[in-house]
Amino acid sequence: MSSATLYSVSYDLVHAILAAIGSVLPYPGNVWITNPDLITGLAVLVFGAILLVATMLNTILLIWWERKLLGRFMDRRAAMHVGFAGLLQNFADGFKLFHKSTVKPREADTLGYLSGPTAYMVASLLIFGILPISSGWNSGALPLTLLLALAVFSFAPLFIFVSAWSSNNKYSLMGGMRSAAQMIAYEVPLLLAVVAVVIVAGSFDLTTIVYEQQNYWFWGPLFLALIVFVAAMLAEMERIPFDLPEAEAELVEGWNTEYGGMLFAFFMFTDYLRALIGSILVVLLFLGGWTMPSWVPAAATSFPLAGIVWLMVKTYIVFALFVWVRASLPRVRTDQLLRVGWNRMIPLALLSIFLAAVLVTVRCLPAFGCIPSLGT
Amino acid sequence: MSEMWINMGPQHPMTHGLWNLRVKIDGEVIVDVDPELGYLHRGIEKISEDRHYNEVVTLMDRTCYVAGLAWEHLYIIASEKALHIEPPERAEYLRVMCEEFQRLGSHIMWFSAFVVDIGLLTPLLYGMRDRDLVLDLFQSYTGARMTYEYMRVGGVRNDLPPGFTDRARTVLDWLMARFDEYDKLTLGSDIFHKRCDNLGILKANDCIAHGVTGPMLRSAGVKRDLRKDRPYAAYDRVEFDVAGADSADVTGRYLVRMEEMRQSVRILRQVLDWLDRNPGPVMARELPRWLGAPYAPVGREGYLLKRNYPKGVGFSSIEEPHGEAQAYIVNEGGEHPYRVKLKSPVFSNISAARQYLVGYRVADIPPIMGSVDVCIGESDR
Repeated sequence: MSSATLYSVSYDLVHAILAAIGSVLPYPGNVWITNPDLITGLAVLVFGAILLVATMLNTILLIWWERKLLGRFMDRRAAMHVGFAGLLQNFADGFKLFHKSTVKPREADTLGYLSGPTAYMVASLLIFGILPISSGWNSGALPLTLLLALAVFSFAPLFIFVSAWSSNNKYSLMGGMRSAAQMIAYEVPLLLAVVAVVIVAGSFDLTTIVYEQQNYWFWGPLFLALIVFVAAMLAEMERIPFDLPEAEAELVEGWNTEYGGMLFAFFMFTDYLRALIGSILVVLLFLGGWTMPSWVPAAATSFPLAGIVWLMVKTYIVFALFVWVRASLPRVRTDQLLRVGWNRMIPLALLSIFLAAVLVTVRCLPAFGCIPSLGT
Repeated sequence: MSEMWINMGPQHPMTHGLWNLRVKIDGEVIVDVDPELGYLHRGIEKISEDRHYNEVVTLMDRTCYVAGLAWEHLYIIASEKALHIEPPERAEYLRVMCEEFQRLGSHIMWFSAFVVDIGLLTPLLYGMRDRDLVLDLFQSYTGARMTYEYMRVGGVRNDLPPGFTDRARTVLDWLMARFDEYDKLTLGSDIFHKRCDNLGILKANDCIAHGVTGPMLRSAGVKRDLRKDRPYAAYDRVEFDVAGADSADVTGRYLVRMEEMRQSVRILRQVLDWLDRNPGPVMARELPRWLGAPYAPVGREGYLLKRNYPKGVGFSSIEEPHGEAQAYIVNEGGEHPYRVKLKSPVFSNISAARQYLVGYRVADIPPIMGSVDVCIGESDR
């Protein structure tokens, strides 16, 4: 792994540019412009900008990936005309939504109506400042990245409910209430499944969790936790079979019925952003993150940005599974969803915690092989 | 949340047409419903009084846009009775073929819409893809994919193009294989059973009390099918079974419709064989002169003048894809029917909505209404 982090790269970049500008400036200017505080401040901004652009591009690529996969599942070709194999279709769609006017219902509450989607998107983007995409991508060595990421992830129902309630539409309100009920119900098994990972890895830090999986990915020993996590994540992402809050057959478009133009684009974009976050979390927690098992030849793991590429490949494969589920399952009903959440998922999650505890105690299970790094 | 009325429609993804279902809900539970029809009323019955007998056929195509040929058939049987005209046997077989292909097309269309109601998107496109093959067949012998204008008083407009029966058999083989695929995608899923079993129950007594017919009635254990009970056209000369179920719920209606499609394929294979063996005329020879014009070929002899033509009334009822449709035509002499009265099965089926919706949840409305197979064009006319 290279020692250069994204932050150090952006710091060097800003430093080099400012030094070049400073070398042609007269006396007070050249000292002021190479001021370390200014360089640090600008470096953070550049870091954030790179992160934002990378995130957005990835999300747009993810939408394309889903469209193409769904097309194949449905025996059609999906977007084909804008760009190679429709790669630029989402940019065209986004541009179309961008230059539409925002139509606010007259009786809607302006503050809630406008701030809901914005806060929803910003809160979800915030997670990308926390998620370690590769060894050099995490913005800071926080000891509790996992908790922070999941805490920010669970902001969403609040913003959805705010925008649903303030649009002053019965369908939106029902969708918002369903969304809040569903997300709160599935937050619990999601966190409990994560606890199993934390017990085995012995850390709340995502980077540590990934390095603990250097030799053995957690999906094998923690298979039950993986199942619970993926199912709860499907509910958190509001995808079929758990897409009740925006069940188009009964609630028109659910909580975003009254939204159009750019605000609708915010919602759509953030849905996929959260899908991306969910898939990345699955990879980080259960599928070894950016590390590869030792049997992979060194040539494949040592090229520049190898970690990011590995992680993204895994992420897109995990997301393909989500798309597969979407293409082949019907939607469940609200009461059934909540019943499954409280009656089945939570006991299963607790069971997976128990299994994780047993695993840590025993350290070596013949069925799963040994996990050498356990119990440090 | 206290009880409130919400309007599901007229623009709502659940409706599958232009109508409004007013629902009174208490939280997520349905307390009362009030279906409102009439948004798509075009006055087809009244317009028919001002049209030539054969021109009314174009209006019949537009009563139900997914089952146009079935409605043409209904109208043509009634008007032939009113006009005392006997169609040749080959025309009757061709009409049976039309109606059964139409049943396939309509049921596949229903399947596509129904699976979307429970959140399945993939079978929607599978259904539309397979329905296209049926539409291709329609196009090859009627010239149109949607509004066919194929039947005429005294027969049908034209015979089949060469090679049609073989192409049709290929399509039927393909469809039979696809029906199993549909079943895997729906019945093979536990979620489907969770959503649809014991849902929207309408028992046989209630069906009969509300005049509910078609697959809804048959799914309640009443094996009533006009093709069997009161055979018309060539239905007494083909073999098939009446599909049925006992559960009276959404799954039952699904099973009945899937079985009906398989039976339609069975009927179609017999009809195609018969058509191959028995060439012949497709129009009655002794048509009144004024009825031949302007499109249909005119018989060589036996022209009857308008003033001499006998008066009469004609009643017909057929097993349309949605249920039992009825037509009553009064012929007071002349080129136009004096009165055309149509009875749509969908109208009765929707009217019983309170019976099969109250007590379930809002999320159950799309599957239940989807299982009714709503076609607003024919209920509003």
